[in-house]
Amino acid sequence: MIRDLERVRNIGISAHIDSGKTTLTERILFYTNRIHKINEVRGKDGTGAVMDSMELEKERGITIASAATHCEWNNHAINIIDTPGHVDFTVEVERSLRVLDGVVLVLCSVSGVQSQSITVDQQMKRYEVPCIAFVNKCDRSGANPLKVCKQLRDKLGHNSVMLQLPIGLEDKHQGVIDLVKMKAYYFEGDNGERMVEADIPAELKDDAEAAREEMIDAVSLFSEELTDAILEEAEITEELIMGAVRTGTIRREMTPVFLGSAYKNKAVQPLLNAVINYLPCPLDIKNEAMDMDNNEETVILESDFNKPTVALAFKLEDGQYGQLTYIRVYQGCVSKGDTLINARDHKKVKIGRLIRMHSNQMEDVEAVPAGHIGAMFGIDCASGDTFVSPNINYSMLAMHVMEPVISLSITPKDNKAQINMSKALNRFTKEAPTFKTYVDHETGDTIIQGMGELHLEVYVERMKREYNAEVATGQPRVAYRETITQRAPFNYTHKKQTGGAGQFGRVSGFIEPSEEEFEFVNKVTGGRIPTQYIPACEKGFQACLAKGPSLEFPVTGIKITLEDGAYHAVDSSEMAFQAAARGGFLEAYKKAKPVIMEPIMKVVIETPNEFQGSCMGLINQRRGIIQGSQEEGTMSVIESQVPLSDMFGFSTILRSATQGKAQFTMEFSLYKQAPQSVAEEIAKKKAEEKAAKNK
Amino acid sequence: MLKNDLILKSPAEKTIGTKNITGGQFGAVLSRAGVGKTGFLVQIALTRLLSDEKVLHISLADTIEKINIRYNEGYASLIDSIGYVDAQVAERLWDEIRHHKTGIAYNDSTFNVNKIRDYLNSFKGADLPLPTLMVIDGLNFDTDLSEVLSDLKRLNQDFGICIWFSMQSHREEPLNQNGYPVQLENYDELFDKAVFLVTAENKTQAIVLKDGDRADQKLLLDPATLMPAEE
Repeated sequence: MIRDLERVRNIGISAHIDSGKTTLTERILFYTNRIHKINEVRGKDGTGAVMDSMELEKERGITIASAATHCEWNNHAINIIDTPGHVDFTVEVERSLRVLDGVVLVLCSVSGVQSQSITVDQQMKRYEVPCIAFVNKCDRSGANPLKVCKQLRDKLGHNSVMLQLPIGLEDKHQGVIDLVKMKAYYFEGDNGERMVEADIPAELKDDAEAAREEMIDAVSLFSEELTDAILEEAEITEELIMGAVRTGTIRREMTPVFLGSAYKNKAVQPLLNAVINYLPCPLDIKNEAMDMDNNEETVILESDFNKPTVALAFKLEDGQYGQLTYIRVYQGCVSKGDTLINARDHKKVKIGRLIRMHSNQMEDVEAVPAGHIGAMFGIDCASGDTFVSPNINYSMLAMHVMEPVISLSITPKDNKAQINMSKALNRFTKEAPTFKTYVDHETGDTIIQGMGELHLEVYVERMKREYNAEVATGQPRVAYRETITQRAPFNYTHKKQTGGAGQFGRVSGFIEPSEEEFEFVNKVTGGRIPTQYIPACEKGFQACLAKGPSLEFPVTGIKITLEDGAYHAVDSSEMAFQAAARGGFLEAYKKAKPVIMEPIMKVVIETPNEFQGSCMGLINQRRGIIQGSQEEGTMSVIESQVPLSDMFGFSTILRSATQGKAQFTMEFSLYKQAPQSVAEEIAKKKAEEKAAKNK
Repeated sequence: MLKNDLILKSPAEKTIGTKNITGGQFGAVLSRAGVGKTGFLVQIALTRLLSDEKVLHISLADTIEKINIRYNEGYASLIDSIGYVDAQVAERLWDEIRHHKTGIAYNDSTFNVNKIRDYLNSFKGADLPLPTLMVIDGLNFDTDLSEVLSDLKRLNQDFGICIWFSMQSHREEPLNQNGYPVQLENYDELFDKAVFLVTAENKTQAIVLKDGDRADQKLLLDPATLMPAEE
């Protein structure tokens, strides 16, 4: 394993679905001699690309789970995380970004910056991951890498700078011009494995000169030496330019843009050179953890092999040898036989087998040092856990995780499926923080929750394939919420005297709408309610929030102020005050004009222009609000907000309305009050369900 | 009512009058480049949004982001013209009404009335209230638009939607005897409302060229905000 960290790159390949990132990863593995045959995504040979390690991914031609893989290029180690492209799985993208030092943002040269690229870009910003861009599919009809470079600027706000120019586009795409070296590169051999350097074709010379000048002008901002060289009209060396590009990229102040066609084996090798030249090594990145013994104070981790170990588990997989836990080591070294502590539950773990993954093949290693990515076998943990040396108690920062918005009841078909389903659910909940499961005690149904219909569909599918658990699914259900719209007082006395010790507690105050999920304010003075009963009151109120009094949806956005009360020296107890709080809440809740809140999704449709009108119509029919529609070349992008409850089955409807030519992405946007008619409908359904249960 | 107060402050109300905005079929805001046609159209549209009506804003020149910025700025100018509105109240109102506007950005070459017809039909199909006003910004009236305009006329009749256009005039072209720029003269019979924006010293003057009861009315506007200028 390469120990010189300057020669290590941990990168992700991130992009919109169908931008060709899996194909690109395949080519990278091929050119770095990790695989010896190229398979296409959805290939004719039926094998699928190597990075799509899950059967389901192979079938659907999409990448669902991040597969980590290792390769070497020009004496540098590159660890690649292939990230999923569909928005339903963004938590996977986020989890990978957490452990990466840099990203190759793959964009399609025809469709350019798409809605999901914007989501992925926001995530990169959140984790401050530097990136280089690769404009893929330059062989496609309508390819326009210069337009994509401009979109990077206009739509994503990147300071994008072309470092290459195409030699021919569409079916005439032959190679690229390197604007740093001022050379043309062609790719020969059956799989483009021979990179041939040549002079720039005469007809492109002027364009290349102009583009180089523009490029040098843009990157000179990041190097005083380069600026001096320009001013003094001295020789501008490759090293000067490359140094400036690297500085700008690592500071996230510029995005160098490369281009090619992975599918046609064009210009993947120069991209690999760029990964090494411009993306940061682990030493360039500041990584932080929280010191749990020291008031969660931030500590900077150093990529020093001799310091105490800190490693983050960022992905779990269930393999034939048990649980495989992917880790990124930030400090110290994880070695075979080491004993580490899981900072979440303080349990000791002994490191047994350590491996380095190449998609679905593994290579045993003795140790994974700081700055590297590896995987351990047989460790029971959850995704996001931090492993540390016994003498420290650090935790890596918590990841931003969204609450699920959709749920589905699942029922195992038989006893065997029941057992397998439990195993699968156990694994999935550890794997993905956005996937949750619980048993509805009233119906006895197992409920799974996630970020969208496709998200849950994929898990149901995985249960069947990976765990042999056949389950029947119910109708997807929307995670409605209740909230109040006005202030309302309560003054409730809980009094019971039925033999034995009595119960007494009085609470008085008011409830009102709040921006927070739940707030409790204690304004009781003069010991009207003794201090020891205040937590019981809060607990009593909080217990009411899990199920709203009217429709049994969780209540959020509520502030409860307790102002006054009374107690009895003998009959008051914590239980009595909890009951009083419940009574008070119920009393005030009805007066506070409760309403139902429904999740609203941001839906972005990309459609050929001729279907724009009908796509906008589909949104209208779903209570959606169209925020705007923009035509870009032959495609239109329609942005809208649509209630989740009206989005079920939308992919099928969109397909049939557009001859399968449109695609859409959907992500949670906000909770909004449901209109009266919808609220009445929900209430009616709820009442019917209740009646059916009571039968 | 804040909505009414804002409508009363609107330059559109003070020139053509809100009832005249959707009362007609075709309306035009004319001016030379850079005087404020789009800004004035946005003010016209805002009066409809403030009346809880839907607006369709079609632009052949601006991106969606730019359209949205123009509406945000137009609304901010209206709010500022009142001067005493609580920022939170103003923001809540904007959140409430801005969703009634749909912006569509077309390329010059892809603008097609049939697409708009498809879209408006979907309102009927879903039994939803139709937009009452459509703004079309960026059509080139120096070219022959008779076909497009007759298609739009049919749209206006079929859906009862009033359409306001921006119309660019040119410095070198003389006005006709009625004081109309040539672009309006060419389609005179189609338009029943028209406002001409001209630069007057350091102000912008809105002159109502065509309207039922307000023709020849003039109003001085602040060129930056297009709000009625202080006397």
